[in-house]
Amino acid sequence: MSRTVKDDVVAVPARSGAATVPRRTGTLVLRVAAAVARRALMLAVLLAVVFAAVEVLPGDAATATSERGDSAADVAARRHLLGLDRPLWERFWDWMTALPTGDLGTSARGQKVTDLLADPFPNTLLLGSAAFVLTVVASLALGCWAASRPGRPIDRIIGHAATSAFAVPEFVVSVGLLLVLSLWTGWLPAVTLTGADGNPTTWTMLIMPVLALVIPQTGWNTRIVRGALADQASAPHVEAAHLDGLPPHRVVLRHALPGALPAIATGIATSTGMLLGGAVAVETLFNYPGIGSVLAAAVAGRDAPLIAGVVMCAGAAISLVLLAADLVRARMLGART
Amino acid sequence: MNITRRQVLWAGGAIGTTALLAACSGGDDTSGKPAAAGGKPKKGGTLRIGALGRAGAITRDPHGTQGNESDYLILALIYDTLTVPGTEPNTEPRLAASWEASTDLKTWRFKLAKGATFHDGTPVTAADVVWSLKRLRNTPSGAARLPGIKAENIKSEGDDTVVLVSDYANAELPLLTRLTTFVLKKDTSDKELEKAPGTGPFKLDWYRGGNARLVRNDAWYGGTVHLDAIEVKMFETPQAMSSALLAGQIDVASNVGAVAARTAESRKDIQVVRRPNDMSMPIVMRTKSGPFADERVREALRLVVDRDAMVKQVLSGYGTVANDIMGTGDPNYAKGIPQRTRDLAKAKKLLTEAKFDLSKTYDLVTTEDIPGLAESATLFASQAREAGIKIQVVKQESGAFYEKTWLKGDLYTTYWGTNDSVVFFASKTLVSEAGQNEAGFADKEFDASYRKVIGTADETARGTALRELQQIEYDKSGYLLWGMADGIDLAVAKVQNLPKLPGYGRVQLENVWLS
Repeated sequence: MSRTVKDDVVAVPARSGAATVPRRTGTLVLRVAAAVARRALMLAVLLAVVFAAVEVLPGDAATATSERGDSAADVAARRHLLGLDRPLWERFWDWMTALPTGDLGTSARGQKVTDLLADPFPNTLLLGSAAFVLTVVASLALGCWAASRPGRPIDRIIGHAATSAFAVPEFVVSVGLLLVLSLWTGWLPAVTLTGADGNPTTWTMLIMPVLALVIPQTGWNTRIVRGALADQASAPHVEAAHLDGLPPHRVVLRHALPGALPAIATGIATSTGMLLGGAVAVETLFNYPGIGSVLAAAVAGRDAPLIAGVVMCAGAAISLVLLAADLVRARMLGART
Repeated sequence: MNITRRQVLWAGGAIGTTALLAACSGGDDTSGKPAAAGGKPKKGGTLRIGALGRAGAITRDPHGTQGNESDYLILALIYDTLTVPGTEPNTEPRLAASWEASTDLKTWRFKLAKGATFHDGTPVTAADVVWSLKRLRNTPSGAARLPGIKAENIKSEGDDTVVLVSDYANAELPLLTRLTTFVLKKDTSDKELEKAPGTGPFKLDWYRGGNARLVRNDAWYGGTVHLDAIEVKMFETPQAMSSALLAGQIDVASNVGAVAARTAESRKDIQVVRRPNDMSMPIVMRTKSGPFADERVREALRLVVDRDAMVKQVLSGYGTVANDIMGTGDPNYAKGIPQRTRDLAKAKKLLTEAKFDLSKTYDLVTTEDIPGLAESATLFASQAREAGIKIQVVKQESGAFYEKTWLKGDLYTTYWGTNDSVVFFASKTLVSEAGQNEAGFADKEFDASYRKVIGTADETARGTALRELQQIEYDKSGYLLWGMADGIDLAVAKVQNLPKLPGYGRVQLENVWLS
C-alpha cells in the first residue's frame, strides 16, 4: 500500500516539475483552467455513470416507492409521472442542463433535491472538514517526527501504528469509540440528535464521528508524509544540510518539508474522497444527519436525481480540494524555478 | 440493515394496530407495565421517542407513501383517523364516534365525534372528512387503501355524518378506515401541508429533517392527554437508536427489534415492551401450478417445519408459534383448530402419495428486507432436508424480488404486519381474485365461505362462517405460517402506559405518562 503511494504520488511532482521549469505565470493560469475543465469533465462522466448504474439496478423509482397494494397500472402511472418512461439519455440531459441554474432536479418522492440536501450536506461538510484539518495537522506532526529520527524506534512505532490505523475500517473504530467513550464511561453522547435549527444540539456530538474518520485517515496520511520526506532526504541540498551538522528536526522542517509539500498536498487531497466515503458509514453509526442517510435512502429508492445530487455535491467538494492541491503543487514547483 | 418502505409500511404497518382511545377505555387495559407508584397518571413531562427513518424518504403528506416510521408517528399524533385498532373489538372509534351499516352491508354511515375541532379551533365537519377521504382515494395507492370504495361514493349527510358506499357487501369496512384516513381541513393545498392543522392529541411545534417537537392539544375531544410534549427523533438504524436509549438520550426506542432487546435484557433500568402478533414471515407455496400445487405436498411442508426451533432461533424467542392461519391477532381467530406440529413420518408418507420428486432441488427465494427473513428460509431449508426434501435458499435484492418473485414464485418468503383480521388477509391474499394473491390460491369452497362471511350481518352466524373459512385456510392454503414475531420497543423505567398492540398500535401515545 505505502509503496504504491510513494510511487504514484511522489513521482508525479518530479516529472511535471521538470516540464514546468521554463514556463511563466501566464501558462500557470492556463494550466489551472485546464485542470478545472478536466475535473468538471470527469464529474460529468461520473454523473453519467451514476445515472446508468441506477438504470441497471433491478426495479426502478416507481416500483421502489410504491406501496405493496399498488396495481400494475398505478405503478405505470407513477412511472410516467416520474418520467421514467423516457429514454435514459434524455433524463440525464435534462438533469445536466438544469444543473448550471443550481437545480438538482426532483426526487422520486416529489421533493426538490436541493431541499433534501440543504441540511445534510453542510452537516457532512462540517464533519468532513473538521476531520480533514485534524488529519492534516496530526499526520504532518507524526510524519515529521518520524522523519527526524529515521530508522529509530519511534520511526518504526509510528510507521506500524499508521499502517494498523489505516487497516482498521471506520465502523470498527466507531464501535470501539462508542463503547469506550459513551456506553462505558458516559463521557460523550452516543448519537447525534438535532434541534429545531437542524444542527446537532451540542458540539460534543461531533467528537466521536470526527475521531472515527480522523484515526484511519491519519494512518494513511502519515505514511504519505513520511514517504515524501524520505524521498527528499536523498536530495542534494537536504543531504548537505544534514552533513553540515544541523539538528535533525531543522533539516526536516526547513530543508526537506518544503520540497515534499507538493507530493504531500496531492496525497492528502486524495483522502478527501476517502473521508467523504467513510462519512457515510460513520454517519449511520452515530446517527449523524449528513448525506450518508440521504444516499442510502436514495439508492434503496432507485432515485437517480437524488443519487446524482449527492454525487454532484460530494464530487464538487472533492474536486475543489484536488484543485487546491494542484495549485499548491504548481506554486511550489514554480517557486523553485 | 436495510429498511424499505415495504418493511416500514407492512411490517408495522399499513396493517398495524394500535392503542385504544383514551376517551373510550381510559387506557387501563393497555398499561405498558404494571404501573409503578400506585399507577395514577401524572401530568406533564416531555417524552423523547426514537423512530426509524431516512432523510431521503421524508414525507409530510398524511396521504402520501410514508416510508419512514418517524413521519408516520408524527402524522398519527397530529392527525386523527376515523377509527383506530383495538384489542376487542379490533376496530375502535376515534374521529368517528360510531357507525352503522345498511342491511346489505354496502352503505356505511360514520357519525363524527362531538366537539372535535382542528388545532386552530374550527370544528370538524363531514365536508372536511369527505374531502380528506377523496384526497386519499385519489392517490396512486388509494384503491389499495380504501378497497371497494370509489371516490364518488364518499359523501356527507349534514354536518356530522359521512357515508361510504362499497361496491360490494363488506361487514368489516370500518377496519379499512383505521390507519391512513387522516383528516385535514377541506381544501388544504399541497403547499400548506407542512403547517396544516390536524385534530389529534398533539399539535406540531416544529419539524425539521425528520425530527419534530409536538405539544399537547388541550382541546382534544378524545380525552385527557398527560404529556406536555413529545419529541420525535429520527434514527437511520435500530443500532443507533438503541445506543441512544442506553446512553440516556431518548426515553423510548420504538420498534427497535429483538437484537436490541437482547442487549437491553441485562439492564434493570430498561423496560422491554413486547407487542405480540406484530409480524408474520410466512413461506408461500404456489398452489396454482408447479411442484407445490398438490395439496398433500403443501401439508407435508407444513408438517416438516419445527415451529419451536424457528421461533427460538429466527426470532430469538421473541415471538410465538403459529398455525398456518393468517390474522392471529383477530379476536375471531380460530383458537379451536389443533396446533399443527412436526411429523416427519406423516410428511414423508404424504410426499410419497403425491409422487413428489425428492431427487430435485427446489429454490426457496427470500430477501433481506427485514431482519430474520433470510434466516428463516435457511433454517427451514435445513429442517426440510431431514425429511429428504432438498431446498436451496436464493437471496434476492428487494427490487428484483418484488419484480420477479412476489406473486409469481413457486416457493418464497413474504412478510406481513398483522393483527388485522382474518378477513383482511382473506380478502387481500386468499380469495381467487385478490390483487395480492401470493400463492395463486383459487378455491371455490373458500371463495364461497369468504362471501358468506363478509355478507353476514349477524355476529353469531358470522362467527360460525369465519371458523369454516379458517379451517379451509388451515387445510389447503399456500401459506406455511410457522410463527409470529413480537414487536419490540425499549423504554426507560419512568415511561408508563406504552401501547402494547402490534404494528402501528405503537404510534398512539396519548395515554403515555411519565412517573
